[in-house]
Order: sequence, then C-alpha cells, then structure tokens
Amino acid sequence: MRTTRRVCFALFAGFLLFAGVAFAHHGTANYDTNKTVTVKGTITDFQFVNPHVIIVMDVKGDDGKVVSWQGELTSPNRLSRLGWSKSVIKPGDTLTVGGYPTKSGSPEIWIQKVTLASGEDLATGGGN
Amino acid sequence: MRTSSKFLVLAGIATLACSSGLRAQMGQPAGAGKAPAAPAPVHDLSGVWNMRGTPEQRKYLGSTYTADGPAMTAWGKEKYDAAKPSNGPRTNALTVTDDPVLRKCFPPGTPRIYLQPFPLQIINTPKEIIMLFEYDHTIRQIFTDGRAHPDDVIPTYMGHSIGKWDGDTLVVDTVGFNEKTWLDRDGHQHSDQLHVVERFHRVDMNNMVDDITMEDAKALAKPWVTQLHFTLHPEWDIMELACPDNQAFESFEK
Repeated sequence: MRTTRRVCFALFAGFLLFAGVAFAHHGTANYDTNKTVTVKGTITDFQFVNPHVIIVMDVKGDDGKVVSWQGELTSPNRLSRLGWSKSVIKPGDTLTVGGYPTKSGSPEIWIQKVTLASGEDLATGGGN
Repeated sequence: MRTSSKFLVLAGIATLACSSGLRAQMGQPAGAGKAPAAPAPVHDLSGVWNMRGTPEQRKYLGSTYTADGPAMTAWGKEKYDAAKPSNGPRTNALTVTDDPVLRKCFPPGTPRIYLQPFPLQIINTPKEIIMLFEYDHTIRQIFTDGRAHPDDVIPTYMGHSIGKWDGDTLVVDTVGFNEKTWLDRDGHQHSDQLHVVERFHRVDMNNMVDDITMEDAKALAKPWVTQLHFTLHPEWDIMELACPDNQAFESFEK
C-alpha cells in the first residue's frame, strides 16, 4: 500500500476521530469518545480474529513501569480489505496506537489509528 | 465553529486533497468516480455489493434508517422505550443489551440485515435471487418464479420474499416475519404484521439503490421509508463471519 494513500487515509480518519463519528460501534458506553489516548510500545499479542482484531502491547509509562494495554479494532474482514493480513504486525514489533480510552481509565483503547515503527500508518476503517 | 464541526471541515478538506487515494483505501472499485461507469446489465443485480450511505446518512446509518426515526404507535413506542440497544444513542454495554442479534445470535431480519456493516453477494438462479450476506452467512431467498406468498406462511426471521421486475426495477415484497427481530439496531420494534416492500434499481454497473417501505399497523403509525445505496465491489469475496465469535468477545468489553 503506497505511503501517500496511507497518509491521506490517516489524515481523514484522524479528523473523523475528533469529529466524534457516531454510533455504528456497539457498546460505546464503555469508551469516552470525547478524549483520545496514544500509547507506544511492543506488541505482545495480535489476534486477527472476529469479531474484533485485538492488539496487546507492553507500554512503558512515564514512571518507568510497564503496563499491558489492550486495543480493539474492527473485524478482520474489513481490515483485510484495507490491506491488513494476520501477519501485518507481530509480537515483538514496536507500534503506536491511538484512539478512545475507557471511561474507567483501564489500559484499553478503541483503536482509531495505528502507526508502524517505520512511521507508516495502517488504515483502520474508522474503528468500526 | 464548534470543535467537532471544525474537524469535520478538516476531514472534508483532507478528503478532497486525497480523494483518489482515499477511494482506494475505502475499497471503492478502481475507476469509481473517474470515468462514467458502464451501464447496468439488464435485469441483473448480481455481484458483491457494499451498502454505504450518503455523507448525510452516515450520521445515523450505523444504527437506523432515517435521521428522525419512524412514527410509532403507542405499542411500538412502549416496546422501543423498553429495548436496551447497544448501537445508536442508547449505548448499552454488551453484557447489558437485549439486542437479539448481539445477545442470542438471532438472524437480524429484513431490512435490518443491511445495517450489519458487511457486504452481500447477489446471485441469480432461474427460480430465485439469492442474497448471501457476509454477516453470519445470512441468506435471503427472493422467489422470482411467479409464486405468491403462501396463505399460511411460516413466520421466519428474514421473512418470505417474492420478486418481480417492473421495467428496470426489481420489486421485492416480504411478509411472514416472526417477532424475534428488531427493525433496526436502535431498538425500533415490529410485529408479525410487518410488510416490507423494496424497489431495487441498478443505476449503472457499479451502483444500486434500494427504496424500502416498512409498514406495520401494530408498530408503525405510518409507513417508514428510506433509500439505501450500494456500491459494487468485484474485487471482494464474501468472507466468513460467524456470530458465535461475538459471544466470546463479551469478556473483553466489560
């Protein structure tokens, strides 16, 4: 997938993120869609499965402590049509993910943006 | 300008600036919006289609068909108020919702199946048009062999559908619904008197519209009308998506 197209999509999705695209996702009650959070860490698990693709990462906080963060994306059916495969990322890779945090403050994200170590973004389909 | 509106404008600018790249990312078929599409084949809706609303529709199409919702009877409103949807503005958690699709993996029903955000394939056979939906491999059979609805139709989730060509429009009439489905993902309800009429028109090779009218004397005070837009994706296959996988997910979304 060419970088230009990815960047364009990331811009679009990024702006939609802040515009608060609505109610296609179930159970949004758990997430605070008025805030965003971004974490960078090392992937420990990547489940490319229905109903939601899940990325688990070890993230070192400002206090130096490592916390395990979990993020969910949309169905692998939709992501595969945006260029993902089950091996597009893997445990051990460095990754930056951004999205909506939970209202409880738990280390979980409804992922809207995924950036590889190279700086390239993977299209996320708006997280739905 | 409100912050969210500002970002919508920026999204619009980003779209215009990156439009052909964006179309590629959104999986639109090559050539969409560039050269005029080939004309529609005659009496042929076959292909893999993705339902994608207009920008205005996308504000509510994640969970329902119109901005204002239906005019409900007292019966319909009481049931709507009591429902606990997970989609739409009443965002109940997965462990709280009573949405039969999310809780019990019930087939979504017609026309709610179009709101499940996955493509469908339309297949012609001599006696019926088959709609194969990626969502939980749901199937609709639209009988085109001239039959009428049975007098004692067996109630089903998806209804009994018969179709007939009226010029270039396929008119599909569906009755015989059980009461185990919701009309949409917002929690609007229907009774077994639900009657759905669809008018499918393939505008050109790549685009199809479905004008839908839902009537239900018990649940709806007047017919509820919408128009859904579909885009052809010859580069896509229908994939598997099995509802029981959703149940395994409930522990993730507490």
